[in-house]
Amino acid sequence: MSHTNRNFILAYILLVGLPVVGLIGVLKSGRTLTAPISVDGLWRLQADPVRLAALPCGKTLAENPDTALAISQSGKNFTLSFSNGPKSDASGVLNGNTLKASLVPSIAWSAEAGCGDGRELSLVATVDPKADPRSLVGLLSVNHCPACASVEFHAVRQTPPLKKGSH
Amino acid sequence: MPDLFKLILQIAVILAVCRISGSIFRRFGQPRVVGEMFAGVLLGPSLLGWMAPGLSAYLFPPASLGFLNALSQIGVVVFMFLVGLGINPNELKKHGHAAVLTSHVSITAPFVLAAFLSLYLYPRLSDDSVAFTSFALFMGSAMSVTAFPVLARILIERGLLQSRLGTVAIASAAVDDVTGWCILAYIVVLTRAAHSGTPIWMTIGGIVVFALIMIYGVRHLLGGMEVSYRKWGGLSENRLAFMLLLVFGSALCTEWLGLHLLFGAFMMGAIMPKEQKFVQYVLDRFETITVTLLLPLFFAFTGLRTNIGLVKGVEMWMYCGLIVLVATVGKLGGSTLASWLTGMPVREAAGLGTLMNTRGLMELVILDIGLDIKVISPALFSMMVVMALVTTFMATPLLVWFCPDRILRPELAKIPTKDAPLPVSIIESTGGSAA
Repeated sequence: MSHTNRNFILAYILLVGLPVVGLIGVLKSGRTLTAPISVDGLWRLQADPVRLAALPCGKTLAENPDTALAISQSGKNFTLSFSNGPKSDASGVLNGNTLKASLVPSIAWSAEAGCGDGRELSLVATVDPKADPRSLVGLLSVNHCPACASVEFHAVRQTPPLKKGSH
Repeated sequence: MPDLFKLILQIAVILAVCRISGSIFRRFGQPRVVGEMFAGVLLGPSLLGWMAPGLSAYLFPPASLGFLNALSQIGVVVFMFLVGLGINPNELKKHGHAAVLTSHVSITAPFVLAAFLSLYLYPRLSDDSVAFTSFALFMGSAMSVTAFPVLARILIERGLLQSRLGTVAIASAAVDDVTGWCILAYIVVLTRAAHSGTPIWMTIGGIVVFALIMIYGVRHLLGGMEVSYRKWGGLSENRLAFMLLLVFGSALCTEWLGLHLLFGAFMMGAIMPKEQKFVQYVLDRFETITVTLLLPLFFAFTGLRTNIGLVKGVEMWMYCGLIVLVATVGKLGGSTLASWLTGMPVREAAGLGTLMNTRGLMELVILDIGLDIKVISPALFSMMVVMALVTTFMATPLLVWFCPDRILRPELAKIPTKDAPLPVSIIESTGGSAA
């Protein structure tokens, strides 16, 4: 074997072989990591329409029985919108199994009686990770309105994301 | 039924913004593709949607995006065929150890660093529906990709095409692309097989059979096209249409097998005859409409999915900075080290590393697949798009800095384009838009 070939093989082992071994180690150790629970997808919303309609900004939601929560998740953070429902700008944080989000109604939505004046909807819910499909149970409330009762809701995930790849 | 008025308005706006942005970036010495990638981001929620939400909602209502996406995907399918067509495995053999070591290190270094970074990012930017293995492998393949069309364009502009730097860079980038796509194929198979319920061995078996048919069957059929080209000096419209049919047929096969459309298109290009004039002829027929019309739609569609607003707060921007840093250290640093160890002068080696760090459109294509199969989250997708833009943008100024003309003067002899290695002639003909 020539000197050049030997150097090439040594360099190859050092710069390619060893990193590949390191990669295998990283992949093995990474399996013990836990990522935030998945809440990404479309959630079919179920709430008492009478109580929902009584909530400021709730009438529009109550009038759309097909309303679903569309959650787009990035780690612990997520954005939220209503599919088949009123437009809003919402973002939230996932802490363990608990979701917290605040929704700012769009201009069109805030035209609903009692929904203007900087009203924001607040959503707090808990995910049941063992249910299949996953479900949410929580409360929908409105800020600056101590007299308004929170409305309980239940949601079931409609479009579960892709399942785990092989380990 | 698509709203044709809206669709054509969208295409007109996208083309106008891409051309203007591309021209502005060209004035600053950047390849046009950087400007077009940037234009896509401008048209999305990161800028237009943020500054003029009403106009954005009018121009790009969510219901209309399906048609735009379909057109852009057709463009990317043809583009991937052209990328495969431009790859010539024989190039690597000409450059021996230097190219082999450089290309392999330029994959493993960013790949391993990306896997290490995944240990940190997975609990922060992913969720439990994605396995760590898929996440880390995807990050690795996304960080190890090189856009050899942009790289080739930069080499042409600096007259370095036939230099040692140029030829090693072209060969290494070709190997990077093939390897990167193989790894990505593995990840897509893992993810989709787990979702579809089809046993993974069936998917892999199907892909192996498909690959064997392509290499030992279809390839010979394509040889007949080259013979016809040599005989008649061109191909009939029927033959060109048949070629397109094969591309789409191959794309459909890989999609049906649980892989992705783009792998089939890329493979069809890779097994095409590699005679230089034939390749140039095919490129001339398909490239203009793809590069000037369909790829800008892809840039726009990718931009519409990129929301820089999701990267908010110091913490998120720190993750983004880390991604750019790791991608650059792995690709630029790894390639530089390997080529320096094989005897290349240090500045030239750094120039090679800079070229290999160019990611361009290839990165966007990979990221789009990652977002589609939900291996990466929307925020991580946006960070990776930023990384693709930054690493592509930095290539030209860094190359000028590392390798000023006086360093490479002996190699800067002007070389006619027609004598250039194959992939570079391809890019020359399109004004460097393809990336």
